[in-house]
Amino acid sequence: MTAPAIEIRQLRKKYRKVEALRGLDLEVPRGSICGFLGPNGAGKTTTMKILLGLIRPSGGWAAVLGDDVRTHGLVARSRIGYLPQDPVFPPNRTVRGVVAYVARLYPGHSHGRTLRRRVDGLLDRVGMADQARRRVRGLSGGERQRLGVAQALIADPDLVVMDEPSAGLDPVGRRDMLSLIAEIGGETTVFYSTHILDDVEQVSDTVVMINSGRAIAAGPLESILESSDVDYSVRLRGATEDTLARLTAESWVQNVDPHRRGEVEQWKVRVTDGAAAADRLVSTLLADDGCDVLEFHLSDRRLEDAYLEIVGADDGD
Amino acid sequence: MTSEATTLRRIETVSPLRGLGGLLVVELRTWFPWRVLFLTIAGFGVFAMNYAGWRAGNAEFGSLLFPFFGLWIAILLLSVVSLTEGSVLGEIERGTASWLVAMPIGRPAVILAKFFAASAGITAAVFVTGTALYPVLLEASGWGRSEFRVSELTEVTGGPIGMWGRFTSLVDFGEWIELLLALSVFLVFVVAVMILFGTMLRSRTAVFGLGLGVVGVFGVAALAGSFAAASPAGLLRVIIDVSQGRTPSLVIPFVASLLWTTLVLLLAVWRFDRKELS
Repeated sequence: MTAPAIEIRQLRKKYRKVEALRGLDLEVPRGSICGFLGPNGAGKTTTMKILLGLIRPSGGWAAVLGDDVRTHGLVARSRIGYLPQDPVFPPNRTVRGVVAYVARLYPGHSHGRTLRRRVDGLLDRVGMADQARRRVRGLSGGERQRLGVAQALIADPDLVVMDEPSAGLDPVGRRDMLSLIAEIGGETTVFYSTHILDDVEQVSDTVVMINSGRAIAAGPLESILESSDVDYSVRLRGATEDTLARLTAESWVQNVDPHRRGEVEQWKVRVTDGAAAADRLVSTLLADDGCDVLEFHLSDRRLEDAYLEIVGADDGD
Repeated sequence: MTSEATTLRRIETVSPLRGLGGLLVVELRTWFPWRVLFLTIAGFGVFAMNYAGWRAGNAEFGSLLFPFFGLWIAILLLSVVSLTEGSVLGEIERGTASWLVAMPIGRPAVILAKFFAASAGITAAVFVTGTALYPVLLEASGWGRSEFRVSELTEVTGGPIGMWGRFTSLVDFGEWIELLLALSVFLVFVVAVMILFGTMLRSRTAVFGLGLGVVGVFGVAALAGSFAAASPAGLLRVIIDVSQGRTPSLVIPFVASLLWTTLVLLLAVWRFDRKELS
């Protein structure tokens, strides 16, 4: 049986008085783009550092592609490409020099022109081909991030670990980074942490949520969304009182949150049964002639809602 | 992934020295040529000041300076401590250490690469400066000689100053090389100490200060003499003895210093291997 890309069992990490990880269990399937979510201090970076051998766990077990990160850390790391949150490279090196340097530290690297072609190809892929000769010290944050992606991919990793890859990037940089992640995800497993839930919805197929050092939700993105209550956004005009009363009386409606702006009323309808809502919500809204439905759609912030709901429900113990 | 990457392979064995070659090349580039050039120019510069003063017959100018040997050694020690105080801690502070060890390289390889590169650079600087100066020192003692007098060398500084001026020993080329070797091995020991402090402390100032402190302690031990032979201080003792006209054995201090250096280096490797990197 093929081992998962990442497998973690009862992982614990204690820093003096602070317990960063408290029996974390998680599994990331191969070939997935896994978004690693959690509040600040939840243990995301600690987990990643343990996988990369930067810190030692206090207990438990973690494996990358079947290799125990404690006993076979070098083997595991030979299969990982890593993009730190704030990539730092030797400042006097050129962009091309950094990627070539990293390549030489991995086993079985190519040499000479082959290596140079490969480095230049990767720089082209991340949009830095025209900056190959620039010194690292002069790069902007976004450029360093793209260089970080290039050096993380140079050894053809089976797993790419990224710590908040789009944090601090401008909108264009963020869009480019998401495109890169999606592209990389077609070729290898990507495991990345982020606070930006829209990013996860755009590119991830798998999600792991942690809170207070423990996993609180994990699985395919769709199943995470299905497991949570569903929100609909509705904009109406006219006499809405009867419609509101009828709607809140339905057993599959959890609550309706109305806001009025001038003549237009905006409702956020939270339902507990997605199927029933899909079947009957529209007809319920249209039942009253005195009320016009101007807009009706599933809330486009569903992961954020699921996240807030799941994290909010977790008491952290 | 990409087709061109098919030549890449996976490592199946675990060696703590994995990556040493690649890291060593990079570390050597940080020492050669610029740092080595700096150390060499510093040595020549000190000598040139003394020599120029002597040539000009300006005893006043020369007498303001320390003897060449003493000043050269002091500058070398200070330079080595300065150049190595951030070799480990600086990388940890900048974050490049984390970046490095997240790759498939053994942590011991990081420490050893830094040590070997610094040792090679410093030894090269000492020998390039020392061997290049030897003919000049002979000239200063009079044309046609195959050895120079330390006392005459001291005259280069404008007069008998300090401990060097009290002796009239002859130094031939073999003894001169022995002196350079003793100096190099002591500096290599200092490098190991600085790397160890870099793995233990959290402040570069503390690393620098403690490094200077260790140098001072061994300097005092060398002057005290008795137990110095079985430690790196014995190397400094050899330098003093050579200049005093004695012919001390370099073997015991040399072997003892290599053992001390190895021990310090192993401690540094052990410490760095257990260090949590952020």
